[in-house]
Amino acid sequence: MLVSWHYKYRGSPMDHIDPRARWIFSFAFLIAATSTWNSAMLAVLFGIAVIWYSLGRTTWKETRRGWTLVLIMLFTMIIVNTIITGGGAGGVVPEGGKLVWPDGVRLFGRLLRPGLTVDRIWFAICQLMRIGGISMFFILIPYTMDSRSYGATFSKLGLPDKLAYTMELAIRFIPSLARNFSITMDAQRARAFELDDVKGGLIRKIGRIAPLLIPVTMNAILSSEDIANAMDLRGFGQRKRTWLFELRYHWWDYALIAFAVLVAAGSLILVHIFKLGAFTVPPFFYQLFH
Amino acid sequence: MQEKKSLWKFGTKQVVYAAIGAALYAVLAYATNMIQLPGAGNVSFRPAVVIPMFFGIAFGPIVGFIAGFVGNILADLLSGYGFWFWWDLGNGLLGLVPGLIYPLIQDYKAGKSILLAELFVVLGSAIGMGVASLSEMWVSGADMNTVIFANFLPSFIPDVINGLVLVPLLMIAYAAITQRSGRS
Repeated sequence: MLVSWHYKYRGSPMDHIDPRARWIFSFAFLIAATSTWNSAMLAVLFGIAVIWYSLGRTTWKETRRGWTLVLIMLFTMIIVNTIITGGGAGGVVPEGGKLVWPDGVRLFGRLLRPGLTVDRIWFAICQLMRIGGISMFFILIPYTMDSRSYGATFSKLGLPDKLAYTMELAIRFIPSLARNFSITMDAQRARAFELDDVKGGLIRKIGRIAPLLIPVTMNAILSSEDIANAMDLRGFGQRKRTWLFELRYHWWDYALIAFAVLVAAGSLILVHIFKLGAFTVPPFFYQLFH
Repeated sequence: MQEKKSLWKFGTKQVVYAAIGAALYAVLAYATNMIQLPGAGNVSFRPAVVIPMFFGIAFGPIVGFIAGFVGNILADLLSGYGFWFWWDLGNGLLGLVPGLIYPLIQDYKAGKSILLAELFVVLGSAIGMGVASLSEMWVSGADMNTVIFANFLPSFIPDVINGLVLVPLLMIAYAAITQRSGRS
């Protein structure tokens, strides 16, 4: 089994932004987007997300897998829960509202009276902007951020050194553990271990994972003792760490952080001080359903 | 002589165990994504969730939390799914809650220890997936029905089944290697 990271250097504007500034901006966006259901605010945020996503210069082919996951989630939330059953609109969209088909719809000779309201359609659009915007920020990360930078980035963002180093170490362990997993799987298959065509109930099927899971896990635990001893001998944790991956802020990173603060603080002020965060349907949208 | 177990200790050994746990979770989640359990249909089964649970029980709640939290981040990065902080947090709790029994367990193959671990696996799955699912109300604007039927149950049920079946097997295997290698 080959395990590979999706990151590659593209020479895109995103490649030149410091990972710390990117994380700060991404979380600021998350705070802003989740603080409001105001469609105008969500539209502005969605626009920012589209611009941000385009800076990564990723292709559809590369990001297809992540988007498939998001599209399934969006489909469940918007089509099924908001439009068909109305469940997802609960709590945000007020009860009642203008029906899309007040006289019902005739389908195969039968008169159906769907409860879909104009308000719920507008809420679905708002959900699309909110989830779509957040997804654009966070799907981009594996494709445009070097995995070697994670440890240094989180350490410089204030995470304790030991925690940041754990992340760094985990990234470095992945290729060797993937290799061990492959070897174990081959060895078990050589002993006629069947993984692909198991008969029996669910518990039996899960139990079949054990001959793979247990040797790989126990081997990893046994080898970790040597690694911990080697780290102790080199005085791990005695002083503040330095990192091989160097991070340097440029003027545009400071500008991005300032913009991130503006986006998050601006949204919170509009929502909590000016009370503009509530969900409302613009009059022009009602008029479309005369 | 048995070393006294400290619940919140995070020294060099714990750093390595947490990193190994996170890497294992990422690799196994990635691998089982590709294998696909037969007959599971569209339901996503991730047997790898037992790694944070077991690492919590064997090495403490912080190790369990990091194995789940960082492991899920890395698994999603490897699979190209992006970064979903609230689900990463839920996976962290999946390891942290079973880890709370870490000081109570001396013999990993004793029936009482396994029973206690199973109980905390169910509790951990409920809290972890509950927190992650509830966060969808805040992030996506989903209501309680959506959260329960579209988020919580499809993640909680497979996690519990995987945990109940595989955690005891890992505990028995761990008891064997600790005895054989004279570790405590």
